[in-house]
Amino acid sequence: MNTSNATLQLPGTSGTNKSVLSRCLRQPGVMIGGTIILLFVLVAVAAPLIAPYKPNTSDWMAIRQGPTVAHWFGTDDLGRDILTRIIYGTQASLLVGIVSVAIAIAIGVPLGMVAGYFGGIGDMVISRITDALLACPFLVLAIAFAAFLGASLENAMIAIGISAMPIFVRLTRGQVMTVKAEDYVDAARLLGVPHRKIMLTYILPNAMAPIIVQATITMATAVLAEASLAFLGLGQRPPSPSWGTMLDVARQFLTESPWMAIWPGVAIILLVMGFNLLGDGLNDALDPRRDD
Amino acid sequence: MGTQIKLAMMATAIAMTFTSAQAANLRVGMQDDPDALDPATSGTYAGRIVFSAMCDKLVDIDAKLEIVPQLATAWTWNAGGTEVTFTLRDGVKFQDGTPFDAEAVKFNIERMKSMKDSKRKGELAPIDSVTVVDATHVSFKLKSAFAPLLAVLSDRAGMMVSPTAAAEGKEFAANPVCAGPFKFKERRARDVISLEKFDGYWNAAAIGYDTVQYLYIPDSTVRLSRLQAGDLEIAERIAPTDLGAVRGNPALALHTSPGLAVSHLMINVGNSEKGGALGKEAKLRQALELSIDRNVINKVAFAGEFTADNQMIPPSSVFYDKSHPAPARDIEKAKALIAEVGGDAPVVEITYENSLADGRVAQIVQSMASEAGFQIELVPLETASAVERYLAGNFQAYIGNWSGRADPDPTLYSFFGKDGSQNVNKYGNPDMDKTLGEARASADVEQRKALYAKATGIYLTDLPTIPLYHPNWFYAARADIGGIAIYPDGLLRMTSVKPAK
Repeated sequence: MNTSNATLQLPGTSGTNKSVLSRCLRQPGVMIGGTIILLFVLVAVAAPLIAPYKPNTSDWMAIRQGPTVAHWFGTDDLGRDILTRIIYGTQASLLVGIVSVAIAIAIGVPLGMVAGYFGGIGDMVISRITDALLACPFLVLAIAFAAFLGASLENAMIAIGISAMPIFVRLTRGQVMTVKAEDYVDAARLLGVPHRKIMLTYILPNAMAPIIVQATITMATAVLAEASLAFLGLGQRPPSPSWGTMLDVARQFLTESPWMAIWPGVAIILLVMGFNLLGDGLNDALDPRRDD
Repeated sequence: MGTQIKLAMMATAIAMTFTSAQAANLRVGMQDDPDALDPATSGTYAGRIVFSAMCDKLVDIDAKLEIVPQLATAWTWNAGGTEVTFTLRDGVKFQDGTPFDAEAVKFNIERMKSMKDSKRKGELAPIDSVTVVDATHVSFKLKSAFAPLLAVLSDRAGMMVSPTAAAEGKEFAANPVCAGPFKFKERRARDVISLEKFDGYWNAAAIGYDTVQYLYIPDSTVRLSRLQAGDLEIAERIAPTDLGAVRGNPALALHTSPGLAVSHLMINVGNSEKGGALGKEAKLRQALELSIDRNVINKVAFAGEFTADNQMIPPSSVFYDKSHPAPARDIEKAKALIAEVGGDAPVVEITYENSLADGRVAQIVQSMASEAGFQIELVPLETASAVERYLAGNFQAYIGNWSGRADPDPTLYSFFGKDGSQNVNKYGNPDMDKTLGEARASADVEQRKALYAKATGIYLTDLPTIPLYHPNWFYAARADIGGIAIYPDGLLRMTSVKPAK
């Protein structure tokens, strides 16, 4: 009884934290994606220091001007510096991407684990509610929640988080059901390891990879969803910048002032790409079947 | 094989040319999908555009806003201005063959005055009774002298529908029958409204097209690109920022007119809880006005294509008051006024419909007013919630967009009369009510001008609303289409529009 734990080498516990980290760092995706996101985080934090202007200050003599020495990215329809607004918009977009996905994971993953691990009536109730929520289009759900909560960036994050939650429930449940059929889980259960410990140390790490990938995709969706909500007056309030609202305004000047759309578009692409590369790399690094 | 395909293609092309030459179709790109196609219940500008092809009115306006004949060829007032008798055009038929006569006029006025969902009740309220004199003469007896009546009858309240079709009752709006140049053919909601030429129209020889289609294309940039691609013949409400593209394209022509509409910043003066200090103190409202440069709003938000102005009535009207020009921006004076009231400049919450235009105006106002110390918070809402708050008076400040009318009375009375339909900010000034009442009763243009100048002075002092600008109308069309004339009411009058030869 005392010796059993020491002799059993289980997949869930095999890699120490150090070796997981080094496996991650060997993935170019993790490195590149992580660097991009880190850069955006730095930009968001240092916004007041690095932005050349104030985000809401208009220059009425410089309406929709192309890139110049004074305004590297040009100015928008109200004569505001686009570079400055991209820099400040990073705060809103990153915050929405990360916080709303954190909310979705914090609610979705535990529910999915409980449903997948224990099954039974709990599983049925959770799964039916999830099915019902998944039947509603993501954005419609987010609009409904945001309208209910009221207009602000914080409420938009909560609304997007709740709307994105069902996909995590379903994904986690499926993963848990696959993993719990593995021999090492049976072995752990036979050894009398408590359910909570089995879930957290044996099942969760082995079910985590697809959840992380989903999280990166959802972060990208969340950034775009914030833009949609802002357009309906349910997200970032004007004049504070967010990339989505900048794009929305730019749409009207696509042919005459393309720079208004290009920069927020590039910023969204870069951030989404960063999340996706990171997710991809983590997926490879964390895959227990991967031989390295 | 190749030759055969070429031949077949040529034949198709020839056949298509033939069809288009035989049946001329006009496609109009519309910003909004009209609501009910019944003049009694309609409430949208887009609906009025369709009606102007489908439903003739008793009288019309011309480019100078003067009243001209349409279904009525002449009218005479009695001495007191309390009764008007119309001479009706002879031989006019509705699109279902029902003859248009004095009985039909009586039926229509009574229908609009009594129908449950009628939106014309307020406009026609001054009419006490309608009397049929003979088949071509009808007289309206008024409760008291009401000079703006003819202007009212130049819009939906003066549109005549077939009594036969209306009497059938059910679903008139789905199958409207009027006496205009084009009759209703079909409607696909949020897509297209199709009309076809009415051969029995009293002026049928003038009609240039066989069919008209109103296509719902909400995005102004998309409307313009479809026009450029030859996918539309006419597009309404081109964005001011897109006008350069129209002017620079020899295949397109721009048709413009000064408008009747006004965009203004309403302040809740009657509800101390919502309005706060700004609602209570006229001096603070004056300070807010002085902190704003209307020309900057026009230049930045509308490429300078609209008309910056401080009055509800546009400069194109003969009743425009030249003695009250827009004050220049004066931050120091604004700060002095705020200091006179005492304390800091108040926080102001501006609610508006989340359109690109209003969004831009709101942010410009916010930026300019902040220099005088005003801290402005913006509350953009989607249309339905914004309108709901507007009607309930649930706002501190609101960017209102009023379509305007040919006569100043409906605008000034609606907003400043104590029981005005748009007086949602609960403004009340007995002096104003008296002035507007006198102007209604007077038939003399010079006297009315003086009274409206007095009214303008009153509201510009009280400032229950700060008028900002008047939009102008911009229609873009293929350059070879003739006969397009846009008047200040912004409607597309279809009778004269002719295809390229």
